[in-house]
Amino acid sequence: MTAILERPGPPGPPEPLSERARRRAELTTKDRVVRGGLAVAGIIPTAALLFLTYQMVRQAIPAIRFNGWHFFQTKTFNLGAQYGNPVTRHGEQALPKAQFGVLAMLFGTVVSSLIALALAVPVSVGGAILLVEKLPARVQNVLGVFLELLAGIPSVVFGLWGVYTLGPVLHRTVFRWISDIGIPWFDGRTGNGQGLASASVVLAVMIVPIIASITRELVRSVPVISKEGAVALGLTPAESVRFVTIPYVRTGVVAAAVLGWARALGETIAVLLISGNAVTIPHSVFDPFTTMAASIAALLDGALQDSTGMDVHALAEVGLVLLGVTMVTNFAGRLLTRRFSDAGLPVGRGV
Amino acid sequence: MRRRRRLTDRVFWALCGLAFLVIAAPSVSVIVSVFHQAFPALGWQLFTQTTTGQGIQNAILGTLLLLLGVLIVAGSVGVAAGVYLAEYAAGRSAAVLRFFSEVLAGTPSIVIGYIGYVTLVVEFHWGYSLLAAVLALSVLVMPYIVKTTEVALRQVPTTLREGTAGLGMPRSASLRRVLMPVALPGIMSGLVVALAISTGELAPLLFTANASDQDPSFSLFHHSVPYLTNVVYTDLSLPGRRYRATSAAAGLISLAILVILIALGRILSGRARRQTARMSL
Amino acid sequence: MKRFVPLALVVPLAIAAGCSSSAKSSTGSTTTTPGSSGSSSPASAASATVNMNLGNPAGPVTVTEAGSSLLYPYLQELVTPLHAAYSNVTLTLAAGGSGKGISDAIAGTTQLGGSDAYLSNSQLTANPGLMNIPVAVSSQAVDYNLPGVTNLKLSGDVLAKIYEGTIKTWNDPAITALNPGVTLPSKAIVPVRRVDSSGDTFLFTSFLSATNPTWSNGPGFGTTVSWPTVSTEETASGNPGMVQTCSTTPGCVAYIGISAQSTAQTAGLGEAELQNKDGSFVQPSSTTVLAAVSAGAGSVPANLAGSLIYEPGSTSYPIVNFEYIVVKKQQSSADAAQAIRDFLGFTISPSGGSSPTYLTKDQFQALPDSVVPKVESAIASIQ
Repeated sequence: MTAILERPGPPGPPEPLSERARRRAELTTKDRVVRGGLAVAGIIPTAALLFLTYQMVRQAIPAIRFNGWHFFQTKTFNLGAQYGNPVTRHGEQALPKAQFGVLAMLFGTVVSSLIALALAVPVSVGGAILLVEKLPARVQNVLGVFLELLAGIPSVVFGLWGVYTLGPVLHRTVFRWISDIGIPWFDGRTGNGQGLASASVVLAVMIVPIIASITRELVRSVPVISKEGAVALGLTPAESVRFVTIPYVRTGVVAAAVLGWARALGETIAVLLISGNAVTIPHSVFDPFTTMAASIAALLDGALQDSTGMDVHALAEVGLVLLGVTMVTNFAGRLLTRRFSDAGLPVGRGV
Repeated sequence: MRRRRRLTDRVFWALCGLAFLVIAAPSVSVIVSVFHQAFPALGWQLFTQTTTGQGIQNAILGTLLLLLGVLIVAGSVGVAAGVYLAEYAAGRSAAVLRFFSEVLAGTPSIVIGYIGYVTLVVEFHWGYSLLAAVLALSVLVMPYIVKTTEVALRQVPTTLREGTAGLGMPRSASLRRVLMPVALPGIMSGLVVALAISTGELAPLLFTANASDQDPSFSLFHHSVPYLTNVVYTDLSLPGRRYRATSAAAGLISLAILVILIALGRILSGRARRQTARMSL
Repeated sequence: MKRFVPLALVVPLAIAAGCSSSAKSSTGSTTTTPGSSGSSSPASAASATVNMNLGNPAGPVTVTEAGSSLLYPYLQELVTPLHAAYSNVTLTLAAGGSGKGISDAIAGTTQLGGSDAYLSNSQLTANPGLMNIPVAVSSQAVDYNLPGVTNLKLSGDVLAKIYEGTIKTWNDPAITALNPGVTLPSKAIVPVRRVDSSGDTFLFTSFLSATNPTWSNGPGFGTTVSWPTVSTEETASGNPGMVQTCSTTPGCVAYIGISAQSTAQTAGLGEAELQNKDGSFVQPSSTTVLAAVSAGAGSVPANLAGSLIYEPGSTSYPIVNFEYIVVKKQQSSADAAQAIRDFLGFTISPSGGSSPTYLTKDQFQALPDSVVPKVESAIASIQ
């Protein structure tokens, strides 16, 4: 009976083998060797993560000493006069006029990701619901290809598309209309299409596949009985979505949104190309800005020229903050996500 | 009253349809725009000449070389880790390892690239090298391989496992002869996902593989590796119209590789799903 | 069945192998006889005043260069003739920006770094064996997008104020004072700056620092500087990016390297006349650039880290620079050193890389005669 009503959904945790059966199966030395080798492999991702964190901290320490708490209070990030003679402060050497602050980058990272999320979630959920509820299965398959394609397009291609195609179009049309309305923070020069607004739109496009594919799986797994109940009660399809589907998928969608947000936080190249790269807090949503990830990529060459090395350490400190923010977000996301398996292109990619 | 509900219904679905178009439109737009920009540079010389000339042959070969490296390194370690987590690990330690692996998945790729540079390239004196690039990419994609392998193995019905135990097969033999072959399509689709990600990456490779006109070689150290996404990125800063078209052409080729991998992935996951369905009855 | 190599074993082996590896791999193919391609004759050591000990190395060597995107197209043309002249030398290039060129040369991840900027004192002190070797002379123009306005005159001081944000419109008194008789619109000025760490930024900011004390004490000069926030400002990546951004933004002003000028002019941008130290307004041309070079060549220091910005002379163009190859004095093998000397010697030789065939395409000039001996001694010291 249940086999007819239920569709094979994502698998749950496996039924545990009894301990005795397990131990009985592990008799030979070969087994132990294999087990040992596999265990080493099992530890490697954790080891890699710890190695990354350790190295980041190590590289950032000189800058932490140099900057102190000002790092979180300063808006500018000045690599210093490259051709000046090094000065010493707080026991560390650096170029003259070097002043490092992560505030502008942090602001840019968080705000662009939030705007991207605000744009992506309704679109993904709406699209996914349409895909599952209204469209026939074959069309679903074909159109699901779009999601996988979007998920796989290299971020540098997205960045280019943003700069040469989307940016100019948006800047001439939508942005100009919004700017004309004159709401504070949404007014001002629309520039050339590079800035917080354009970057957020591109980020939104990039995280839509994550949220949409998870939502799609979630909507598919809503029990048919509940939906049939809604029909029996005389609800319209829209009302059925509102009263049955949404409550069922709500937590999952939140988890998906957190994963999407984590991806947006770490996005580097696309933002680098379309943000306008101004290390400052934007006055309007159309102004150029920067994010932590984009700044690291953009400033690393310049930083490497600093013979004192402080510029590179300062970027490590930025990276550490970025790592911290992403890890906290991921932590929250993974705690919320349960048993979502997908063999398609992945979710939560912090690119 | 009924009319209002029907109207709401229509509006809702219209909005959903709009949302759907908003999802579909960018992917079409991106492909069309890349194609349009790449058009002047399209031709056989892309494959026969290197970046010193008019082509991107070295970048294509370099990308394929990187993919091979990722397959070997991340593939072997990731699958092994996934097998460990699915078959051998106990509850608590498995949960911890799995958790850390998934946190690794969310690490920004620029962080991996930065550490790859300061540690592997500079501190270890490997220089811009194939090994540094492959390791950076592998760290990035390993969590996905681990996860899909684990999922694929968990989908193998317990009856099969108990059957092998009942036959007195040692664990390793049961893995090798029964479980892995059954889980293989799922595992392979995970590998395909990892390759798809690797094709499109730039940030971790910028400072480990570096840009170059060189031909890729199998030497592990002190030899920078050309790759497609770098051509896309660097050729933008070079003067002349042909560089911009070449940059788009490199983007187009990487999209083509992506499409092949997506198709491959779908075939494999379809096969995996069918197999699981067959075995669940 | 999957077999795997435990990474834990591979990693220490790899580290050990990496640390001891210093051999440069070669990918060059051997050609038959040098000079058979006919496009150029091998650089003759006889015409040089200093013996740089040139000659085909014993075995095939690949020389790696990375850096300045201004230098890149020029060097690309030299790959084949160099190989023809020295059959065992193959040059492989990478663009990435002057900043990267310098840092890669310092870190040793490339043998040669291409840079529009010379090394700083602190870089030279921190890396005693590092040299910057000029191979050509380049210049930079300031372009603007004002349809209908030809022959716009600007000075470094005015430009600094534009990029600081104190001069905001084209009809500002400071600009109209420089352009008597020309009607300038009241349009807002859109200054465009480079985002990547670039030699062009270095040159432009050097010019601004030389002409405006506020700028000199403020952002200063370098391949990356802390630009003042200007509300109308835009950013671009690379010279083509600058051309594209400026051509689509009326009222813009941008600094664009000389090799991109033809693209800029096709895109409709005008080339400004800059005020030089003597007060006259000049545009970059071979005459004006040469005038600057001759004036400045005498003051090039022994370490060749010399600026040619804002040189005196009535016809001197103010933004002129040497194109540098940053290289370590001590190379890992005699063959590598030989190949590098060959490349550098070839590039500065009038019958090799410094012949008009290669220079004019990118609007470079050859090194002035007074500087050549110093350059040759530097090349000879590469071991």
